[in-house]
Amino acid sequence: MLTMEGGGETPVMLSGRLDATQAASAQSYLDRLQGVVTLDCSDLQYLSSAGLGVFLKTHKRLLAGGGRLRLTAVNRHLQDIFSYSGFDQILEIEPAR
Amino acid sequence: MSESASFARRIDALAEIVAFTAAAFERQGIAAALRTEVDFVIEELFTNIVKYGRGEAPVTIEIAAIPEGVEVTLTEPDADRFDVTRAPPVDITLPAIQRQPGGLGLHLIARLVDSVQYAYSEEERCGRVVFRRTRADPSPDATAASEDERC
Repeated sequence: MLTMEGGGETPVMLSGRLDATQAASAQSYLDRLQGVVTLDCSDLQYLSSAGLGVFLKTHKRLLAGGGRLRLTAVNRHLQDIFSYSGFDQILEIEPAR
Repeated sequence: MSESASFARRIDALAEIVAFTAAAFERQGIAAALRTEVDFVIEELFTNIVKYGRGEAPVTIEIAAIPEGVEVTLTEPDADRFDVTRAPPVDITLPAIQRQPGGLGLHLIARLVDSVQYAYSEEERCGRVVFRRTRADPSPDATAASEDERC
């Protein structure tokens, strides 16, 4: 289960698991946003390659409009996934404290 | 000790798989710290079967405790041969605009497990993937192997 709240002037709060069952709804939510979009990942417990695909598609769309996707409060599991996939080189990522 | 369950080839079976894995870990005393990576690898393998497999028979997942870790086996009946250990490499150094998400899952599996093996039986048309995860920080390159054998 994944919940998403916020956007626009506030960070998008992600909570739960972003897996293949949740990727379509996550993509629909992020497709509405423009500019610099911040995802607060402090309660995002799990991310699969389906979620990486959502982030990549969103980042590329935002880049085309002069914006970007940035992630904050990224936990160790997510950091590993971003590092192993090279996403740490294309996304702005702030680790969890 | 090991336990297994079979799952329909639907993406929404992932919730049942996660619940099965959690229960199996708890019953067998497997370190919970390994769960996230194991869930990840199972999801990538299972969704790959759902997306590209042509069969309809359920996929069986077996979870077995091993010293300091876990061994997981996914068995796909009615399978065409597809060796997940020989998936095309992914260039993770490309800039965002040139990146495509395809293939990332299989690429990541090799980084998250200690070993992964693929076996295929022509006679039974059955594919099987066995992977092991035995410590918190796997080596950068897992050992991979493939072979022909009975499922």
